[in-house]
Amino acid sequence: MKRVSAISTSTRVLVQLFLLVLAIGSILPLYNVISASLKSGDEFVMNPFFLPQAPRGDNFVYAAIDSHLLTYAINSLILVPIGLVLYLAVCVSAGYAFGKMRFRLKRSLFLLVLFLTIFPQLLLATQVFKLISLLHLTNTGAGVILTWVAYFSPFGTYIMTTYFTDMPYELVEAARMDGASHLRILVGVMTPLAMPMIATVAIIGFQSMWNELPFSLLILQNQASRTMTLGIAMMRGEYGLGVPRTSAAVVIAMAVPLAMFLIFQRRVTLGVTAGAIKG
Amino acid sequence: MGHHRLEEDGIAPYVFLAPLLVLLAAFILYPVIMNIVASFTEWKGYGAMRWTGLSNYRAMLGDQAFWTSIANTAILVCYIPVSTAVTVFVAALLREGLRGWQAYRAIFYIPNLLGPVIIGVVFSIYLRDDGSLNLLLRWAAGSTIRFLTSPSIAINTVGLVQVVWVHLGFGLIYFLAAMNGIEQGVYEAALIDGAGFFQTLWRVTVPSIRFALEFWVVFNFIEVFARMFSFIYTLTRGGPGYGTFTLEYGIFAQGFEKFRVGYSSAWSVVLFFFCAAISVAQIRLMRRRSS
Repeated sequence: MKRVSAISTSTRVLVQLFLLVLAIGSILPLYNVISASLKSGDEFVMNPFFLPQAPRGDNFVYAAIDSHLLTYAINSLILVPIGLVLYLAVCVSAGYAFGKMRFRLKRSLFLLVLFLTIFPQLLLATQVFKLISLLHLTNTGAGVILTWVAYFSPFGTYIMTTYFTDMPYELVEAARMDGASHLRILVGVMTPLAMPMIATVAIIGFQSMWNELPFSLLILQNQASRTMTLGIAMMRGEYGLGVPRTSAAVVIAMAVPLAMFLIFQRRVTLGVTAGAIKG
Repeated sequence: MGHHRLEEDGIAPYVFLAPLLVLLAAFILYPVIMNIVASFTEWKGYGAMRWTGLSNYRAMLGDQAFWTSIANTAILVCYIPVSTAVTVFVAALLREGLRGWQAYRAIFYIPNLLGPVIIGVVFSIYLRDDGSLNLLLRWAAGSTIRFLTSPSIAINTVGLVQVVWVHLGFGLIYFLAAMNGIEQGVYEAALIDGAGFFQTLWRVTVPSIRFALEFWVVFNFIEVFARMFSFIYTLTRGGPGYGTFTLEYGIFAQGFEKFRVGYSSAWSVVLFFFCAAISVAQIRLMRRRSS
């Protein structure tokens, strides 16, 4: 990226220095947990900041087994993908309806969806909890999946709608002339064409569900059914756990989002701009 | 989204929308409406509701925790301009094509990726009174800061970490994409006119990304009013005292820790009005964008 620049070469050095300090400051908290996770409880008291003198892995074993992080990881790895598939089905189907179909209530229903996009989980939580108990879904994966899909779909639908709206209507028209049903058009024509945007929405959905706390906290009260994120949240300050073991748990929990980022970096970046505007 | 009433698609669209609409009705619309009803009752979250008129609202207006929550939210709102200025400034620096700008962008994005729960736990360790940052401060400045244990400081810690620091990486990607859309010719012209970095930033870049800036501010308002719970829960559990209570946190504390669901619903109604106003602002922006 060669740019027209108003910064002189000497200033550039200062700017680089400034960015470097900012970046180091930004990484320090993460370095801190990683280094703490390799220390014994005693060493952490003596040396909370510097690299461990005798690095050890037993905190990870403790976090994974004794603190049940492995169970929580498995729970998340089951719940999130199932939730994601349902979420994509809901968003793509609704996005197609809003983007490419013609019906009387389109405008008002779409406005309603947009309006309901931002309300915080806690605002809905007491009533959602009542509903989930009514359906006998407390402490079940089904309960939390249903809630996630409902809560995160409006935003995914909005993104899919803008994408489908921008696609040429002739695609639908031609297929309609050939007598294809809307379902066949969606599955056979539109979905393959929309794959790049569906992948972006999938990343957004994955991050939202993987990191979700309030609903899981209220619905999954049974320890064995906790998600990774919920497990980490409950671990903080747990009596007798100590910083090194908590840090080890956090380091394990970082693995999945970081792996996601390394594999899908470009798409994650696109996800940031997908929901809003480019210019 | 053109309207051709002559060739409507019958009931098919409603079938495609059914899953979304059923879920929205049950999990968002119904809860929002029932909150308003529940706010006029005494209710534990189960069993019968007992109508008590405005007494929850009266109790709320006399509740120190409520006013602290409002004040804390106001403090967090003050961090929105800080976050905006810092993010646009760093984005403008990276736009200059400095060596390693993509690496910086990736490093600053990491906190977004890890999510509020991990970041909350990380900072609950890093910012302890005897934690690493205070250790460094004692070396460098000879004194420490009670980031998490002083009621007046803790909410500012939340603002600096979650509103400014976490959003920096998100904003860099967002604003760099927006700045990419600005024509190079405009910058060349500014350079020929002898405009310096800050002049160019203020006169060329900022006006060109005005739309992106408006979205960014609305996004930040959503974050402050509606997306703060997970971070506060893991960083401070709302404390010390009511030190980091926000409306969201108060609803949690009253409704799920003390089982005063009728009372917490009154808080929910207040939060609802704030969120509804933000939502309307966002819809207006979205519609201006599509037109």
